[in-house]
Amino acid sequence: MKKTVNSILRHLVLLLLAVIWLIPILWLFVTSFSGYKGINTSHFFPETWTLDNYAQLFFRSDSIVQYNRWFVNTLVIAIFTCLISTILVLMVSYTMSKLRFPGRKQLMSFSIILNMFPGVLSMIAIYFILKTFNLTNSHIGMIIVYSAGAGLGFLICKGFMDTISVSLSEAARLEGASEAKIFFRIIIPLSKPIIVYTVISSFLVPWGDFVFAKLMLNSGIATDWTVAIGLFNMLGKSMIAKYFSVFCAGGVVISVPISILFLIMQKFYVEGITGGSVKG
Amino acid sequence: MKKKVLATLLATALAASCLAGCGGSGDAAQTPAADAPAAETPAADAPAADAPEAEAPAAEAPAADAAADPIANLIAATTDTVTLKVWASEEDQDLTTKLLDEFKAAYPDVTFDITLGAESESTAKDTILTDVEAAADVFAFADDQINELVKAGALQEVVANYTYDVANDNVSGAVEAATIDGKLYAYPMTADNGYFMFYDSSVFSESDVQSLEKMVEVAQAANKKIAMDISNGWYIYAFFQGAGLDLKLNDDGLTNTCTWNAAGGTDVAQAILDLTASNVLVDMGDEDMATQIAEGNVVACVNGTWRAETAAEAWGDNYAATKLPTFKAGGKDCQMSSYSGYKLIGVNPHSANIGWAMLLAEYLTSEAAQTARFEARGLGPANVAAASSPAVQANPAIAALAAQAAYATPQRVGGNFWSPAETLGQILASGNPDGTDLQELLDTTVEGITAPVE
Amino acid sequence: MKKALSAIGNYFKDFGIAFVKGDVWVKVSAVLMGVGYIARKQVVNGIIMFLVEALFAVLCVGYAAPNLAKFGTLGTVQFEQVFDPLTMTSTINDYDNSFLILLNSIIALFLILVFVIFWIANVKAVYRLQLQQENGEHINTFAEDIRALFNEKFHITLLTLPTIGVILMNILPILVLVAVAFTNYDQQHMPPSALFTWVGWSNFKNLFTSSVTVTFGYSFKKVLVWTLEWAVLATFTTYIGGILLAKFINNKKTKLPKMWRTLFIIAIAVPQFVTLLLVRNFFADSGIVNTFCNNVGLTDFLKNVGLVPANLSYIPFLTNPGWAKVMIVIINIWVGIPYQMLIATGVLMNIPEDQIESARIDGANPFQIFIKITMPYMLFVTGPSLITDFVKNINNFNVIYLLTQDVFVTSDQLLANSNAKEVDLLVTWLFRLTNEYYNYKMASVIGIIVFIICAAFTLVTFTRTIKGDKEEEFQ
Repeated sequence: MKKTVNSILRHLVLLLLAVIWLIPILWLFVTSFSGYKGINTSHFFPETWTLDNYAQLFFRSDSIVQYNRWFVNTLVIAIFTCLISTILVLMVSYTMSKLRFPGRKQLMSFSIILNMFPGVLSMIAIYFILKTFNLTNSHIGMIIVYSAGAGLGFLICKGFMDTISVSLSEAARLEGASEAKIFFRIIIPLSKPIIVYTVISSFLVPWGDFVFAKLMLNSGIATDWTVAIGLFNMLGKSMIAKYFSVFCAGGVVISVPISILFLIMQKFYVEGITGGSVKG
Repeated sequence: MKKKVLATLLATALAASCLAGCGGSGDAAQTPAADAPAAETPAADAPAADAPEAEAPAAEAPAADAAADPIANLIAATTDTVTLKVWASEEDQDLTTKLLDEFKAAYPDVTFDITLGAESESTAKDTILTDVEAAADVFAFADDQINELVKAGALQEVVANYTYDVANDNVSGAVEAATIDGKLYAYPMTADNGYFMFYDSSVFSESDVQSLEKMVEVAQAANKKIAMDISNGWYIYAFFQGAGLDLKLNDDGLTNTCTWNAAGGTDVAQAILDLTASNVLVDMGDEDMATQIAEGNVVACVNGTWRAETAAEAWGDNYAATKLPTFKAGGKDCQMSSYSGYKLIGVNPHSANIGWAMLLAEYLTSEAAQTARFEARGLGPANVAAASSPAVQANPAIAALAAQAAYATPQRVGGNFWSPAETLGQILASGNPDGTDLQELLDTTVEGITAPVE
Repeated sequence: MKKALSAIGNYFKDFGIAFVKGDVWVKVSAVLMGVGYIARKQVVNGIIMFLVEALFAVLCVGYAAPNLAKFGTLGTVQFEQVFDPLTMTSTINDYDNSFLILLNSIIALFLILVFVIFWIANVKAVYRLQLQQENGEHINTFAEDIRALFNEKFHITLLTLPTIGVILMNILPILVLVAVAFTNYDQQHMPPSALFTWVGWSNFKNLFTSSVTVTFGYSFKKVLVWTLEWAVLATFTTYIGGILLAKFINNKKTKLPKMWRTLFIIAIAVPQFVTLLLVRNFFADSGIVNTFCNNVGLTDFLKNVGLVPANLSYIPFLTNPGWAKVMIVIINIWVGIPYQMLIATGVLMNIPEDQIESARIDGANPFQIFIKITMPYMLFVTGPSLITDFVKNINNFNVIYLLTQDVFVTSDQLLANSNAKEVDLLVTWLFRLTNEYYNYKMASVIGIIVFIICAAFTLVTFTRTIKGDKEEEFQ
């Protein structure tokens, strides 16, 4: 008897917590179907339901809502960002994990400290550096911003590679394989989970960043934007009363693919972050 | 009229060429001067409808040759595609697109590549100042930013007019707002960016809205709210200026003089405390006001024409607007003051096609454009002729602004004003929770407002 | 430290030896790079070296020299533009842009440094070739050199590209930031229309002194204290909460653990800026939560208790300093716990079951087990990531900015006078100073301080982990 009560209590607590965690998400979801464009402050659920907000996103592009373009822009930026970032991260991780050369540890400490430096602090300098190369207001510039410094984020990936047994590469070395060959033929295939993690996590960066995007894509022309700036813009002072529910619809739409990727990624994330240390 | 334009044009031309002479001869010329063959074609090319004055020189001035017809020269000198970037607010996109098409059609011999971006007038400064060179060639902004924009070299001085007389065709307040140190820096676009009182006439009578105390009383009886963005320097100014205290920009164009802590200052602070104490007059931001008006909780608010639509929708036939009321400070009634606000169009001095940018700015602020803007969006024109049309006069929000105009002052204030004033408003609106001595409170605020700028 | 000094000493000593003991080819190489290689039959290397030197010379004359010449003053020619109303064209003089001079000078100095290192390496390499030849050793052909880049020198090949990226995106901007901290670059001195120049340490002095009008010292102290408080609170609440939640869900008595976990993860799978902006409106003064609290009488109750000022008809969730700080921490818990739960789940699954069993047999209650076994294990495994989280929280721009921007107005007048707010972290304060007030000089000083704080924390933990690292265990 006491056991059943306990069990019911336990699940009630969990239910309560889950409700707390999901209420804002639910609000996002239901508001995206609201017939009222502003913020409804007296009712949780919309008074009139409609699909119009989604229709506005996809089919009624104007100078403020260009959702399809934003989506494509962000997708292109994200694809290139994740390709370049992943390559850079793998290069550095492998070097730090498997190769031995003088100054390695110093270089590692230095990189880790450098990686702690938040980009926000130096974004004006980054802006003007890219401006001298005429890369502001261009998607190439955005890709560079998101991926060029990626090499510094090698720690998790290196931790994973540390767990790959050295005997495999030793054997290959004895057979006369070059370091390059070992890298491509042995380490890369064995690092699949961490590569998936790196790919997805760098893919997600452009979808969530609005600070750099807003600074770099400053032409004011909506077709140049990424999803994040577009949505952020809808909550501006003069816009929010007319665009809040459209913002919610836009939020729901990007959340779907991102949630799926995130759910895939989290498995590898846990493996990556705990892999090295746990198995030890 | 025409003569006057010509005179200004020539005078400024002389002044400018003198300036150019003093400016040093080593300057790198950006664009070639009008070449000789251009001289024969101008009259035919100049679009008659848009440039009546442009024809004038040829007819009136005997010495005038092609050099005196700048538009024709410009058309002749333009061989490449003219690329221009324009910024207008999000709400203004449709209208601006239409005006841009008309502008292009007015100059059929020139190939234009004009892109239109969305940049709110109220935040244009933030984007422009980060990188002036990357900003649009022609942009709209609110007049409170003109000081900083001029300081940052982001505004081309309007040394000459080509299609209409900017200084005389617009209301004097607007021209004053676009002028810094006697030099005109922008083209007035609307004259409605100030604030006044919106109210629901089913709750307040016309005599109620004369006094803020009375309004609070009535609203309290109806269990409704009156909203004002008190924690905002722009609005809290209404109280202090209304009580005769001073806030102005010093001659250096950076620092402020402020006497809010002088005798009578504490009376104003006390008045704000008293008015907000009953929680009927509430401190509320513009976005919240929009929802609260729609929800029916707010029945009167201090705001500007940009909220007229929301209020008209919510209150229907009872929608009304008037000048700001009086409030009691130290036992006497003071009429609340306000900032008169204007929206202006500026030209970026870094523009590669500065001549065309100026012509476009003139086009976007012409009488026809201002009338169109009123018809499309209910924005009060700055153009005298456009503003005198019966339709404009009948608009309640614009009429209220006109009534408030007698008590409004143009906005000239240095950057150090905003943060301290905002905080003063926040403290007063939340009932001075720490119980700071009011004189001390004002002293600290004034210290912040008048702080030196290195 | 001593080791580092002696390493630097050796570096130059080796160079000295190489130069002094080198033959004529080495000495010529010091002037004409590449000669030494060609003399030793490494023709391709020689040509490459020569081209590098030529390129550098061109860069020096065309790029470095004109910029560095103005580096001392950061430019003297003010922007001037004259508009000719008759031709409708404008003339712009050949003005100096202080920022570009600064930026280009730093890039130029960087290039010179790289070249000097390259040059030293060149002299040493040529000397090595000389020794090899004297000793009759084999001298690599070009093909062999290339092959080495995929074998014993593979790390150079792999690191080149990432290093270029990092220099461009991280190191150069930081150097610019440091330089700006010593200038008067602010709204009154903003290129292109105005010039700025060097001012020495005065910005640093401003940050640490407080007068009536310059309140940066006061604000800095307040903001710094809250930044650290926040970092500690944010890190530990989510960390402990995550472990507890993970344990709760992983417990054998919990049915459908996967489903529960997924429910929590959904909350963080939505991009952060969307949820945070949403939550900000959720808790707005006239937002839906306030409507609800009003309807159930919670607002009045809190008013009676004195937690809500009497003259408000709403709960100032994000507008009153005290409330806002608490709410930010709570919302951060909401954002952070699912992440920590994920990590904790992974770690807890690997916890040695036998230890817990034996403790249970010894009569330890669940709480004791948690404190004595689970926590130490968790800390052991996730210690480094805890420090990373701490540093990330010091710079947690998104949460603070998205929740309080445009909403929170400070009621501390001294903070207001230096454009800070009670809820500001150093980063958000810095962001506002640059983005809204163009006070780049003070923002740079704050940036340097943030960097020093973060670097100190990281250094302490990571040098320990890297040194006593388990990375060799598997190898």
